[in-house]
Amino acid sequence: MSLVALSELLGATVRDASGAVRGRVRELAIVPLDHPTRVAYLIVRTPFGERVLPPDSLKSAGATVRASTDATEWEHYTASDGLLLLKRDLLDQQIIDVHGRKVVRVNDVELESTPVNSHLLLNVVSVDVGARGAIRRLSKGVVPSFTLRALLVRIPPRVIPWQYVDLLETDPSRRVKLKIAYEGLAKLHPADIADIVEDLPPAEREAVFETIDEEVAAETLEEIDPDIQVSIVESLDKDRVADIMEEMDPDAAADLLGGLPEEHSGEILKEMEPEERQEVTQLLEFRENTAAGRMTTEYIAVPETAVVDDAIEALKRFDGSREALATIYLLGPGSKLAGCVPLVKIAVSSPAVQLSALSEPYVACAPDTPQDEVAALFDKYNLITLAVVDEHGRLAGIITADDVITMLRHRH
Amino acid sequence: MTFLRSWRTRIALVLAVVGPGFITANVDNDAGGIATYSVAGAQFGYSLLWTMIPITIALVVIQEMSSRMGAVTGKGLSDLIREEFGLRATFLLMVALFITNFFNIVGEFAGVASSFELFGVSKYIVVPLAAFIVWGIVVHGTYSSVEKVFLSASAFYVAYIVSGVLAHPDWRAATLSTVTRPESLGFRNYGYLSMIIGLAGTTIAPWMQFYLQASIVEKGVTARQYKASRLDVVIGCLFAAVVAWFIVVACAATLHSIGKFNIETGAQAAEALRPLAGEYAYLLFATGLFNASLFAACILPISTAYAVCEGLGLESGLDKRFEEAPAFYWLYTALIVFGAGVILIPRFPLFRVMVLSQVANGVLLPFVLIFVLLLVNDKELMGDYTNSRWYNIASWFTVAVMIGLTMAMVIAQVRG
Repeated sequence: MSLVALSELLGATVRDASGAVRGRVRELAIVPLDHPTRVAYLIVRTPFGERVLPPDSLKSAGATVRASTDATEWEHYTASDGLLLLKRDLLDQQIIDVHGRKVVRVNDVELESTPVNSHLLLNVVSVDVGARGAIRRLSKGVVPSFTLRALLVRIPPRVIPWQYVDLLETDPSRRVKLKIAYEGLAKLHPADIADIVEDLPPAEREAVFETIDEEVAAETLEEIDPDIQVSIVESLDKDRVADIMEEMDPDAAADLLGGLPEEHSGEILKEMEPEERQEVTQLLEFRENTAAGRMTTEYIAVPETAVVDDAIEALKRFDGSREALATIYLLGPGSKLAGCVPLVKIAVSSPAVQLSALSEPYVACAPDTPQDEVAALFDKYNLITLAVVDEHGRLAGIITADDVITMLRHRH
Repeated sequence: MTFLRSWRTRIALVLAVVGPGFITANVDNDAGGIATYSVAGAQFGYSLLWTMIPITIALVVIQEMSSRMGAVTGKGLSDLIREEFGLRATFLLMVALFITNFFNIVGEFAGVASSFELFGVSKYIVVPLAAFIVWGIVVHGTYSSVEKVFLSASAFYVAYIVSGVLAHPDWRAATLSTVTRPESLGFRNYGYLSMIIGLAGTTIAPWMQFYLQASIVEKGVTARQYKASRLDVVIGCLFAAVVAWFIVVACAATLHSIGKFNIETGAQAAEALRPLAGEYAYLLFATGLFNASLFAACILPISTAYAVCEGLGLESGLDKRFEEAPAFYWLYTALIVFGAGVILIPRFPLFRVMVLSQVANGVLLPFVLIFVLLLVNDKELMGDYTNSRWYNIASWFTVAVMIGLTMAMVIAQVRG
């Protein structure tokens, strides 16, 4: 078992069973649908055309590649969509380093060659993104190979194991054939995914958002810079955008739609489920820089006569954002805001205690309160959530602290 | 409050029209540009004006390709070169770009030094201070607001237009030599040839292709909104060309006509503004040169560091900390520190270096252009946005001429 670099194999002379030089290695191909890491064959450029050389007819692979078969037996190469070509698709291209949570460029690819019976198995094990791969390629053919090898072992490697590599492919049908699903990426925190996506070129961003799960896509989209948000949404299919937006926080979705041209946002709204559409449309009517434009309509409210147990039941049923969970609101007759109970108090009280007994004096603002005043209220009363009430004292929505932080950050 | 808001909107609208294309073309008239145009006018009078039209056409053609590539691919030029031509080609090109841009940066700091020499302020005070300001402005993220100040101050170029008119140039001769074929005798002259390369090199500099494409990507222009960007590029190029023409004419009318053929210092170059500003010509020239130099000195090191790091796959970006992107920050800092440091060598020929840096541009340019042309014609990359046939003929012709000129100059230099 030994490691061999892609850059060593590319251009290597190929000798067939007779020992005669028959050509040079041009590419290495993987068929991801068959095996995710195994090299299916080498593509060899010979005087009589391009031929494929499967590893089970390989005796050794290095600066010289020796085959156990005769050149006449090698089949013709035909291009196909389902092939991952290591030089074309990987070398010098950008990939996502899932472990390091960033976008990196591939300097070289490391393969493991394992002798099995009388032939070799070639498997991709990692990609080299550091100085070692770069120097190896730059000095290939310029510096004698033994000097180079002595030099390279002194350079600390920077490699990413293959299981942490997510490839970028903008062609949807090819993504399917190459089994690219951004599984590693989707497991990261949405804020990290957002950082990575912001580093990508537009077409690659689109590819990620077309592929990953709607719920993850929604959370990620919320974290992305507003300008980039708009460009992503404009590039995606309307159905897809509607699906993602249904999963988003209604206030974030409303903010995003507010930044789009009206005809475009109208088309997206049309594709959304009636319930979500109604929530978002309501929020859209409010101006963005007022309390109403910043609030979400997903909050927990129970009658003021309820007990702790009822509140816990309501918590279990709630599927809005976690930030909105911090406070449970109490409603009096006619949905009028009557009080609020912090989640902490509920956690430490016994199930039968009346919520009204736990209620604290609440702070609320009107829907048209400017956002600067909203921020001032959060600061003054050390709030985590703030209730927004209409002119009749009814609870219209709540603003959460994370929205205020976003708002303050965007202003500077 | 409403008044303030509408006033703000209006300014924002004006600045929105001024896009990457306009900024790039404007920065192009930097210290090296002013120096080269001045020398061309003083030394050869109107006889080099014929270069202006072909150079402008070439500038528009080339800048348009860069911005189109940025809009369609969403990637920077060095990224694309790396992805399509591999590590070795990218590495060599990045080394060459680094060296050339280093000379350009030296040229910008030379511009800063010679502008303050006119006020009698020592370069040992001004240059380190300027280097510090440049480093600070960019690293502390205040660049975008400072850019507007630079741009407004670029209105200084109008002074050359006015001065050119007031100098009573020989309009007939100037126009004729702009539109007629040059005499072929001049091409055997090393000085004449190197001046032509200098002119082409300062107007179409390699860094512009990298900077413009990166700005288009940064701005998030897409293929659909590309038409507005194309207009921005064309207007920017035309403005830059008109300014260049008037600098040459102003210098020809004020300096060449009275037998002052050699410009060695900024003070001599400032003479060209005398018809407009009289005794204050120095002041006007110095302020304008300072602004142009500092503007370009802000842009060049950072765009070089970005291009090199992106091409070589090193971490880059001002949003990263020093430990995260050490190569990026070191490159950036080194370009400024050494670029400014070289100027502090005693008896350094400031003005000559400004012109020389433009010749270095002329030598690297053909290589960059070949890459640009190969990339922009790549169907897989550009889809329906590849060059048309006529466009390709025009641009390959430009490249061929630039290569021819460069080789002619090298031969002329070897023969002495």
